[in-house]
Amino acid sequence: MRKQRRKAVPVVVLALALAALGLTGSAQAKLVGEFTKFQYCPYTNTEVKKCMYAVTEGGEVKLGNKTVPITNKVVLQGGFGKPNETTLISKFYGATEGKPTLQPVAQSVPGGLAGVVPDASSPPLVKRLIKFFFENSITGLNSTLELAGPATNIEISEQHLNRKEGLGLKLPVKVHLENPFLGSKCYIGSDSSPVTWNLTTGPTSPTAPNTSIEGSFGQAEFKEEGLMLHVKEDVLVENNWSAPSVTGCGGILAFLVNPIVSSQLGTTTAGHNTAILKNTIDIATAAAVRFIDKENP
Amino acid sequence: MNFKSTRIFIGGLLAAMMLSAVLAGSATAAPQWRFDGTPLEGEETIVGAAEKSSLTLTGMTTTCANFLYEIKIKNSGGVGTGSVTDLPLFNCTTDTKCTVEAIEPKSFPWTANLKEVSGKNYIVISGVHVKIVYGNPLCVLFETEVEVTGNAGGLIENTTESATFNESSFSATGTKLNSFGTEVKWNGFFPAEAFQTKREHKLTVS
Repeated sequence: MRKQRRKAVPVVVLALALAALGLTGSAQAKLVGEFTKFQYCPYTNTEVKKCMYAVTEGGEVKLGNKTVPITNKVVLQGGFGKPNETTLISKFYGATEGKPTLQPVAQSVPGGLAGVVPDASSPPLVKRLIKFFFENSITGLNSTLELAGPATNIEISEQHLNRKEGLGLKLPVKVHLENPFLGSKCYIGSDSSPVTWNLTTGPTSPTAPNTSIEGSFGQAEFKEEGLMLHVKEDVLVENNWSAPSVTGCGGILAFLVNPIVSSQLGTTTAGHNTAILKNTIDIATAAAVRFIDKENP
Repeated sequence: MNFKSTRIFIGGLLAAMMLSAVLAGSATAAPQWRFDGTPLEGEETIVGAAEKSSLTLTGMTTTCANFLYEIKIKNSGGVGTGSVTDLPLFNCTTDTKCTVEAIEPKSFPWTANLKEVSGKNYIVISGVHVKIVYGNPLCVLFETEVEVTGNAGGLIENTTESATFNESSFSATGTKLNSFGTEVKWNGFFPAEAFQTKREHKLTVS
């Protein structure tokens, strides 16, 4: 009997370990190969018809006088529903498992802190405080695009993207300016008052002084026996957007610093700003992703 | 008129004669629709059914077993012109998991003019617009309207009374078909025959 009990303990431990492994296995994504990029697409939601994984690999954002090149890759992922029959626009569904729908990736702002809070034209108090940052070389400035509000505020029209006309992707964002001097709440745009980009693969019709620019659908390639569309060299453009006021820059000194940053940006009304996003996009139907999921238990 | 001015006059006359000869030459060289060797007068309808016709986007080829067409042709100012007025397509499939639910040409008529390039005769179809709806819920294009637009040039072969569309004929005529902003490859062999007053007469282009 004692012998039997001694044997039973390891067996129970082994069984528990196997069960734990089994549970872990079922919780993990079962997507394989090219489909693993859709692991955070809400493909189990029956309202989601297609999954999208887009990587912005280049381009630039010009806001008033400042231009920030996109040098670090930014991922936009999620799914979208059936298009409205009249507008051809689909509702967007954000990434699952708490993953970011729009990955917040910092881009370096040319000119750094001095470019947005110049020492010469700042009030004496700001000048004194900013001195510390310049003396300690804490002058690097990053700009991070963050999704403004819920992912359901994003809109997409696959047909418009294909046809190179009209609204292809509506992306409400806020621009987070990051430097220790500016604090952690320095934003252009907010959830309630976002910077709204109505991006197109076709030509734009901006307010002057901007002139029309044209995007590109890119090069399409079908993969996985027609289950996946891979688009490279896609270019989405928008140059008729306006930017809301700068808020929260400089922490408690925001009332002093916000106007300085605003004046350095210059005019940011429609016709003075441009967004050019160069992307690689992968799309599959949610049904195909579910099928691959089921095929690979 | 002195000797020098006479020389200038004769030189000018020769130049004018050469120019008119060149213009006349190019006019007669323009390809026309002919039946039994005689240029077509008035209008005729030609019809045909394509053999081995396929439309290829990178990674997916769509093939239609039945690819019919109707073109109304005439000679205008010594040049063969025409318009594609019908293009029924049936029994279409792909080499992927996508099926073809519907394939429908749009925006008829498409112009179909004759053109000579490097001594060869081509038919150039302009304003091509085809809408394709793919099926199978797993297919990435499921319920997506795919549009193929652009121009297509095909090499005319008098011996077989046909036109062949391929990469070489598109290149020679400077034509291109697009879908998703990407160039589409169209391959097809199109035999033709008259279907009205010139029925069973030999159709050639020269």
